[in-house]
Amino acid sequence: MKIPTLKAETRTQRGTRFCRNLRESGRLPGVIYGHGEEPVSVSFSAHELKMELRHGSRLMSLEMGGEAKQYLIKEVQYDHFDKDPVHVDFARVDLDERVRVQVTVELRGTPAGLSEGGILDQLHDKIEVECRAGDIPSTLHPSVAGLLVNDALCAKDIELPEGVTLITGPDEKIAMVHILAVKADEATEEGAESTGSAEPERIGRVAEDPESKDA
Amino acid sequence: MAMMPKRVKYRKFQRGKIRDKATRGNTVAYGEFGLQALSKGMVSARQIEAGRVAAVHFLNREGKVYMRVFPHRSISAKPLETRMGKGKGEPSEWVARVREGTMIYELGGVEEGVARQAMVRVAAKMPMRCRFVIRRHGL
Repeated sequence: MKIPTLKAETRTQRGTRFCRNLRESGRLPGVIYGHGEEPVSVSFSAHELKMELRHGSRLMSLEMGGEAKQYLIKEVQYDHFDKDPVHVDFARVDLDERVRVQVTVELRGTPAGLSEGGILDQLHDKIEVECRAGDIPSTLHPSVAGLLVNDALCAKDIELPEGVTLITGPDEKIAMVHILAVKADEATEEGAESTGSAEPERIGRVAEDPESKDA
Repeated sequence: MAMMPKRVKYRKFQRGKIRDKATRGNTVAYGEFGLQALSKGMVSARQIEAGRVAAVHFLNREGKVYMRVFPHRSISAKPLETRMGKGKGEPSEWVARVREGTMIYELGGVEEGVARQAMVRVAAKMPMRCRFVIRRHGL
């Protein structure tokens, strides 16, 4: 798998105000840590990072001062709209080192149970695996075509590439096909207009006694 | 039926302000698609219910609609033609306080095109501008 390269610069300034200015100038703050060494603050182009993140690679090669090194993307923080990245954590890593990562699960196929009126519910879109840093799969594509109503795809059913070990519980349900239970109040779409006078019960209040009030 | 809490400690609330942006409840967590608030505001229980009904009606019972907000706060109002004073009004409705970025609804089990059309109808019931979002897989 090709490791994308990002041109980065080390930075000495830190803090909210500096990082805000950095983002306004089109760059993003990040940090490199791990392997018992001192953490290093870096900055890189926000646009380039967004382009590279699209490809789903978990490793990123950072080019600093003419030298490129591979790092594991540990975490990407997003803004409040969950749209644009605002900070990235990189971990120092050897390509032969075994690492634990969350890998995306993308379901393939149309379950047979859908024709019986069921719906496909994906309960988890990631599973945790352990593998060599150089062999991290970008996505896993289990087939759900054989699932009937009330059937589930468990973590152990997902075929993993060679050298990849499952860390998530093997019986963890990843996806299942089930029939939606229609609630009684949802059945009538328009519903009762409202119980305008109904009020919630008050915690810690005994039903008011008119006699005690007068006293 | 419009939603409201089952039990509360106090019936009436001070008005307060909706501060800051959503730092949680701002990602698609249950379904595959979501409707995200682009500004802060208060969504009443009736509006939440109207949105749900709009989605369920359009989807014709396909897919699953998740409501990510709940009307925890009461809004009080004085009766018409009443003089000012004599204490705070009685609770008239229940609202959810929504921050910028809050995911209001989610949708799963349907195609993207259908989900988009359903969310347009739901967004029309909301008191603020909203956007359609797709769950981000991967980093």
